[in-house]
Amino acid sequence: MSSDALKKRKSKVVRSEGGTPEMKRGRGEAEQQDVRVYNEEVELDSRDPEQDFQQYKESCESLATIMSEIQELKANGAKEGSAEVEQRRMQGCIHFMNLKKLNRLAHMRLKRGRDQTHDAKQKVDVLHLQLQNLLYEVMHLQKEISKCLEFKSKHEEIDLVSESEFYQEAPQEISRPHLTKNDPHQLTLARLDWELEQRKRLAEKYKESQSMKEKIQNSIEVKKEHLTSLQPGLNAIMQASVPVQEYLSMPFEQAQIQTEVARHLPPALYVLFVQANAYGQACDKNLSVSISGDVDEAKALSKPPEDSQDDESDSDAEEEQEKTKRRRPTTGGQLDDKRKEMLKRHPLSLCLDLKCKDGSILHLHFYYLMNLNIMTVKAKVSTSTDLTSAISAGDLLKSDTLLSCLYSSDQGRETPNPANRYQFDKVGIVTFADYVEELGHPYMWVQSLGGLHFPKDSSEGVSVGSSLSASHMENTMKLLRGRLQARLALHKQFASLEHSIIPVSSECQHLFPAKIISRLARWTTITQEEYMELPYTRHVADAGLAKESDLYFMSVVERGTARLQAALVMSPRYPEISPLFSLSLSWKGERTGRTDDNLRAMESEINVFKNELQGPRPGHQLLTNQISRLCVCLDVYLETEGQDDSVEGPREFPREKMCLRTVRGPNRLKPFKYNHPQGFFSHR
Amino acid sequence: MGPVELLHMSVFSQSFSPCGRFLAAGNSYGEIAVFSLSAALSPDATALSQKPVLTFTAHEGPVFSLLSTDCHLMSAGNGEISCWSWSDLTKKNVKPLWTKRPNYKSSLEIPEINAMVLNTRDNSLVVGGGDNNIHILDLEHGIFKTVLQGHSDYVHCLSLREREAEILSGGEDGAVRMWDSRTGQSVHCVEIYKYESCARPQYGKWISCLTTDSDWMLCGGGPSLSLWHLRSLSPTSIFTLTGCQRQTSFYQDMILAVGEGPSVAHCLLGGEVKAQIPCTPQSLNTLQLNTNSAEHRMLTVGGSSNHIDVFTNLSYRAFSLSF
Repeated sequence: MSSDALKKRKSKVVRSEGGTPEMKRGRGEAEQQDVRVYNEEVELDSRDPEQDFQQYKESCESLATIMSEIQELKANGAKEGSAEVEQRRMQGCIHFMNLKKLNRLAHMRLKRGRDQTHDAKQKVDVLHLQLQNLLYEVMHLQKEISKCLEFKSKHEEIDLVSESEFYQEAPQEISRPHLTKNDPHQLTLARLDWELEQRKRLAEKYKESQSMKEKIQNSIEVKKEHLTSLQPGLNAIMQASVPVQEYLSMPFEQAQIQTEVARHLPPALYVLFVQANAYGQACDKNLSVSISGDVDEAKALSKPPEDSQDDESDSDAEEEQEKTKRRRPTTGGQLDDKRKEMLKRHPLSLCLDLKCKDGSILHLHFYYLMNLNIMTVKAKVSTSTDLTSAISAGDLLKSDTLLSCLYSSDQGRETPNPANRYQFDKVGIVTFADYVEELGHPYMWVQSLGGLHFPKDSSEGVSVGSSLSASHMENTMKLLRGRLQARLALHKQFASLEHSIIPVSSECQHLFPAKIISRLARWTTITQEEYMELPYTRHVADAGLAKESDLYFMSVVERGTARLQAALVMSPRYPEISPLFSLSLSWKGERTGRTDDNLRAMESEINVFKNELQGPRPGHQLLTNQISRLCVCLDVYLETEGQDDSVEGPREFPREKMCLRTVRGPNRLKPFKYNHPQGFFSHR
Repeated sequence: MGPVELLHMSVFSQSFSPCGRFLAAGNSYGEIAVFSLSAALSPDATALSQKPVLTFTAHEGPVFSLLSTDCHLMSAGNGEISCWSWSDLTKKNVKPLWTKRPNYKSSLEIPEINAMVLNTRDNSLVVGGGDNNIHILDLEHGIFKTVLQGHSDYVHCLSLREREAEILSGGEDGAVRMWDSRTGQSVHCVEIYKYESCARPQYGKWISCLTTDSDWMLCGGGPSLSLWHLRSLSPTSIFTLTGCQRQTSFYQDMILAVGEGPSVAHCLLGGEVKAQIPCTPQSLNTLQLNTNSAEHRMLTVGGSSNHIDVFTNLSYRAFSLSF
């Protein structure tokens, strides 16, 4: 029913319009529309789209039913244009009109929706733009604020006195405490004022000091002039006093000349010169110091300002060298020249003469290698008596070995200055040891005497100059003297050992029995290689006790058919470090200290219990006493050997030594220890 | 101790601690060194862990004999026996609990003590040495209760047959004497060098090693090392080893022997020498098996060197402890 009513209304509208609105507008009949006062757009507002949609669906449905009814009627044979069909067609038309209307409304609604969206969008855009503007403004303001905050005033770079100090020192009119106490700005201003005030005062003071300085300088100039004017007068007086000095034999002049020459010594040698002189005067009258070498050359050397350490431009001599270089441009020759240059000695050298009580003198020549900054020493011994007799003693007084290992493991073959390593690499020097023969040995103690200190570990501090030299002087001189005496004593002993005589002094007589039958048959020096090749010395080498710097000897002790070989290692520090014996006995087969426990016991009797063999201090008789004990031990060994043999006939070695027991302990050792007053042998 | 002293040092005696974790060794300078075996055997052992944890001078003369009891270490030097507590030693506290000296007749030279064995049956210490006699020290009362006299030269070695209560001793005079420990009487005396199969006149007649195991005895020295059947008192096997032997030991079905020469000999009971394992010292004085602790099981040998060779496996030297 309601749907019917709706249909009627709609059909009315369609009729009243009488065509599509577009057509009417197109014809320009706007007036007519105004008159009609019908506005579809107004109608649109009052309608509900939901309802429209419902209407549309209903119209479609009813259209479909009408169509099917028409079809049915037609199929039943109704005629075209029959009332029923016509009615149906009318109804269908009405529905079509309705659909059209709905369509139009839908279009209008769409258009209006679009317009609305567009309007809203425009509004949003405007608002967005406003927002952007505001944001930008905020950012700009923030920037401005931070700029303000970061503003640096110049006064911040000025170091001001602390606040408390300021209140203490500044006068009231500047500090104005009532104002500044609570206002930091005023406080800063006041402090700046004070700073300015102070600076002004200091500038004034500076000016004053400057003028004072000028004044003093002027007065110094005047005094200097006065002093220089004195010089010729003094010279004249000196000249005049010479004959008086000569007459009174006072060597002022000579000493002065020496000090004059000493001025041209390089610093290291100068330190040594001063310290040795001082030590000689204070403690050791037998020490004398002299300077040798070309003074003029040294003067020439010390004249040019030593601003360049470069090898090429140091002195006249070097220029000459360069000339020769140009003459021989071969690279080998150049390298040779460079090497020579590198190893150049200072033209002046120092000679220390150390006199001993027996009249022998140790001459020590100290050299300074300018480019390597190290000192070397060459030694020579001159004795009061002739010392040519001993062949095996050849090495003892050689410059090479005489001073070796004065302090432990100081062999003086490698340069002590670590910097030299790089210098050598440049000119292709493999090791300094190749030049030691020519230049002398750079022992550590020599560097110390010259006040040169090359720290080995980084932990050691660098000590400087003459205090270092002084701390080493006394000890070194004592060691040098001890070394010389030990070597001279050995020299004498070797001479008699070569004649198969073992010199035993009366002080040491009690260490040995009166009758020793074993005799020293041979005493020779051997090389380290020969020593190493011996089958019974391997353990010594393995223990690291046979070093390159040591001296090696071979001694043979014989008794009857028994022949005892003893190979010796002697440290250059003898008698501080005792010689080490290794034994090999050939008697009824070959036995060595390695295979025979008794020979091993003999070795330890000689090597380990050496303290009782030292004799009077400083123990120069140690070696001969050790050899004597070796003979005694061999006697004991032979006499106590094989006593249980059931071999017929007399023994080769009858028992002469008194022994409490011939064997003892699990390894059946023989009694090698001699007990002095009773004269018997016992076990350790 | 300087390098020269080390070079001439000999190790004469060894003893494992009752816990088996320490080894005490005595040398020719009268020093005893205590080594920590657990440190030396640990996988991160360095050269330092093969050095003694403690070295102290125990006696004036060489330490020829060391012996461990339940908690004490006995050491024998020149004519005196000292007793140290193992628990003190591991705490590095060196003070002897007591020192005793047998009553010696001679005065000129103090006789050395070459061998000690512990008789657990009556808690006594049997001591043999340079005065040709065997002294028995009663550990309960701390007095020397018996002197066994009979040897005509000094006593080298001792052994104990607990089941028979017999003490065996071998001496420089070449005799092996068997003593009844209860009565102190000499039961038997066998002079080994008189048996032609054992005698080696080129060496001598002394007996320097002696070991027993139930009815079997092993002895050697000047004469060849030989295995004896004690009930019949006849030699059953002779071992052809060169040099004189200084210590032997039964080990499982083998015999281990050391002496002159730088090797440990492995022998079979039948008389065959199975192997000679080289070691560092040129001649050996002492051999010791550690059976006190399973994880530190090892054989150690010492001799004319400051090294003590350690064999964790009997067939090769593992490393050396050194003074």
